[in-house]
Amino acid sequence: MALQDYFSIPIFFIIFREVTEAAIIVSVLLSFLSQVITDDDAMRKRLSRQVWAGTGLGLLVSLAIGAGFIVVWNMYATNLWAASEGIWVGCFSLVAVLMITVMGVAMLRTNQMQDKWKYKLAKAMDDENARGLSNQSRKYALFLLPLVTVLREGLEAVVFIGGVTFDAEPQSIPAAVIAGALLGMLIGFAIYRGGNKMKLHPFFVGSTCLLLLIAAGLVAKGIAAFEADRWNRLTGAQSDDAGTYDPRVNVWALKCCDPKQPDAGWWSVANALVGWSNVASYWTVGSYILYWGVVSTWMIRSKTRRQKAAVLSASAERPLLASGDDGRVSGEDDDADAYRPVIASSSTLPGGADGATRRHDGYGSVVSGTGAAAAASES
Amino acid sequence: MLLSVKSLAVLALAATAAQAAVVTYNWNITYVTANPDGLFERRVVGVNNQFPPPAIDLTLGDTLVINVINSLEEPTSLHSHGLFQIGNNQYDGPAMVTQCPIPPGGNFTYTIPIAQHGTFWIHSHAKGQYVDGLRAPLIIHNTNETYQYDAEYTVALADWYHAQHADMLAQYLSIFNPSGAEPVPQSGLINQASDVKFNFVPGKTYRLRVINMSALSMFHFHIDGHEMQIIEVDGIDVQKTTVTSFPITAAQRYSILVTAKNDTSSNYIMHADMDPAMFDSVPDDLQLNVTGTIVYNAAASLAPIEYSQWDPFNDATLVPVVPEATSEPDQVFALTAAFSVLNDYINKATFNDITYVLPKVPSLYTAMSMGNLSSDPEVYGKYAHPLVIKHNQWIEIVVNNNDPGNHPFHLHGHVFQIVGRGEGIYDPSTPYPSYYNTTNPARRDTVLVPSNENVAIRFKADNPGIWLFHCHIEWHLQAGLAVTFIEAPEVMPSVLTVDQSHYDQCKALGIPFRGNAAGNDGLDLNGANLGPDPLTGKFTAKGIVALVFTIISALLGLATVIWYAHEDDAQIAADMAKAKAKANREEEAN
Repeated sequence: MALQDYFSIPIFFIIFREVTEAAIIVSVLLSFLSQVITDDDAMRKRLSRQVWAGTGLGLLVSLAIGAGFIVVWNMYATNLWAASEGIWVGCFSLVAVLMITVMGVAMLRTNQMQDKWKYKLAKAMDDENARGLSNQSRKYALFLLPLVTVLREGLEAVVFIGGVTFDAEPQSIPAAVIAGALLGMLIGFAIYRGGNKMKLHPFFVGSTCLLLLIAAGLVAKGIAAFEADRWNRLTGAQSDDAGTYDPRVNVWALKCCDPKQPDAGWWSVANALVGWSNVASYWTVGSYILYWGVVSTWMIRSKTRRQKAAVLSASAERPLLASGDDGRVSGEDDDADAYRPVIASSSTLPGGADGATRRHDGYGSVVSGTGAAAAASES
Repeated sequence: MLLSVKSLAVLALAATAAQAAVVTYNWNITYVTANPDGLFERRVVGVNNQFPPPAIDLTLGDTLVINVINSLEEPTSLHSHGLFQIGNNQYDGPAMVTQCPIPPGGNFTYTIPIAQHGTFWIHSHAKGQYVDGLRAPLIIHNTNETYQYDAEYTVALADWYHAQHADMLAQYLSIFNPSGAEPVPQSGLINQASDVKFNFVPGKTYRLRVINMSALSMFHFHIDGHEMQIIEVDGIDVQKTTVTSFPITAAQRYSILVTAKNDTSSNYIMHADMDPAMFDSVPDDLQLNVTGTIVYNAAASLAPIEYSQWDPFNDATLVPVVPEATSEPDQVFALTAAFSVLNDYINKATFNDITYVLPKVPSLYTAMSMGNLSSDPEVYGKYAHPLVIKHNQWIEIVVNNNDPGNHPFHLHGHVFQIVGRGEGIYDPSTPYPSYYNTTNPARRDTVLVPSNENVAIRFKADNPGIWLFHCHIEWHLQAGLAVTFIEAPEVMPSVLTVDQSHYDQCKALGIPFRGNAAGNDGLDLNGANLGPDPLTGKFTAKGIVALVFTIISALLGLATVIWYAHEDDAQIAADMAKAKAKANREEEAN
């Protein structure tokens, strides 16, 4: 039995990432509470319960929607696509690639996640003139914030999973979900206990590397599905797994190492992780290389633009820089006793694209470059 | 006591010498337009502007002379299927094996002494031309038939295609047919026509000579309301065996005795059901059940049609009337038939991983011109798959069918004994497990080897010549499912005579007629026709380069990810400080 018959690796990583972020939110909120409310134990406990309740409800609702979505999707979708399965598999592969890539790269900005949360908390708790917030909302802010965010993260995960689940056997989903959730909660617990001394950065970089490897492999697999569909039409093949290929564009065709065989063992793991196949064409190899090229170019452009922007704003002499802060741009080394919002050269919303220097952060103020902290520190 | 075929033939000839005649047929091979199944008019290959070509009718002891004029636009040649051609290999017919084909506009005369009797057929052996219609029954009467009957009919069955064979062959042997699916016929014919009637007179006994002239199809033959007794198989008289139906593969022949009923109240349907197992797919409009009518009375109605079960039938149980004991073989060949996509990316047939490719020089001419080297298989070219056997040796072939399809295998120049059948692939390093326990095994020249089974056959190499052994599904012969037996090459020059007309024909086509398979002297086979080989399934240089580039691109990409995520505080601070300093300097300068 192949590994991915019982454990879908892409789903594992998606769940893991979403649960980890939810865990970060909880840990930040709980740390905040223990830092700020030092005297009133009862209130602290009450507000802690709000945090847990909001997070828990958010997770439950996401899971319910997710499970329902997956069930319905698998019931109808897999039957509908049988006739031109190759094309549907190909399309969904490419959609999944897009989502995983964007999400993976966004994850790299997690450094700012904690700071963003602290900033949001500051706004929510202390800003008497916060737009649209009633007294009631403020009272339950610690319930609503995690609820809304976890819900959003959860639905995001559901959509991502919908993209990859066509590829996964139904029985491979539960184990992957459970493992991802457990691991995510473990990380969150570690963050809470270990405080900000946890070195999360290498962890997130590592998981993004893995996610992008999976995405690159999915590109090759999607292109292969398109190719197989076309070749099967050309040769009048009765089934999708005719095992033949177009010799005119073939680059390698090995007798061994076929991930689709029942005794494939590690080859099918390789197929899930990096898209390995014993048959490759100019198209699959080319699209794989092209994917890395595009993603690398995007990241390079994005970062160099950000660096230029940072330099530009520095030379424009924004007040904050003159304040003596040494221009630290990473929130990584924040210590627990000051939730001082740290300057982020840009803070990305999860799942969003990076690169703009002026952006609306959704809380009523325009942030640009290093302006986020300026607004915060004025309040 | 062992009676060899050859001595029997000599005896028979002696007995019939008084009545022997030279029977001449003038065959002008022409294109004809015909519509034999009533469904589609098309160009076919006929004889003397007639289609179907006329049957050849002979008596034991005759000499058959066929004066062929090729009025087609492509070469042709004729093979008399089942005739031993003792000492007459040069007129056996397969193009590039025993002769150059007859060029368009050319002529050639086949002279064949007839030393046997029974039911045979004659067909083109140049590419797959016979599928376009160049085939006809060849009946040889015995001067004294073994069995008594009042009259006889020839029932020649065949599948029929609407497209031209050359077009279908191009699609069959193409990279777009990697599964090797054979073209499916559009219909079936009896005597290359449809709605054929056979008149039966009550009480009379008829001999029906059933021939299968198909490219692909196997038929199950049965007659409503009548029993059949098999009396002859592939030119060998056998003890009467009663059957209700029997299968007949491409190229096989059976003679049956049918006794007409004593009343004329009904006419009966003669069934020739095509076996759908031979077809890759069965289109809805394909009428598998081909029928003819046994007519007692033109006005009578048809008896109810019986949809009988096809009987399983093991032709190894037939007992030849003239016994021939088997013998321990001097040489055993294990030939494993298989189909796969080779390194020309076309699905081809192989015997022991070698696919048959025609040599540049007809193998017979190589044998006749190479002197002592004619016993060295190398001179015939690797891809003619030459198997050299010595004069009067007993040869055993175990044919392993390593393919999901059923295949009828035919040996030129001989009948062979069926000495065993088994399951699976026989490993020649082990003793054969399933020989039949009989002193008089069944003999024939075309035997069915069902899918994933094997058959052991034996014959005595008493007929010097180049004899092809191949699957008689025409598509598979074109795909290369053949080997060449080089039988007694050391004796050939003293037994065979190849006259100048043969070589002139090669000259007309620009084909070399001396030397080895490459047309060279000695063992220099540079320029020989090479066939495709099995795919190695390993990396090629192209593949390794591609793999290296994919790995490099992934590594570079991952490095970019790590770089992107790395917030180089010091670097950015330095950049900012530099910019600040620059701005300060500019301010001071103003």
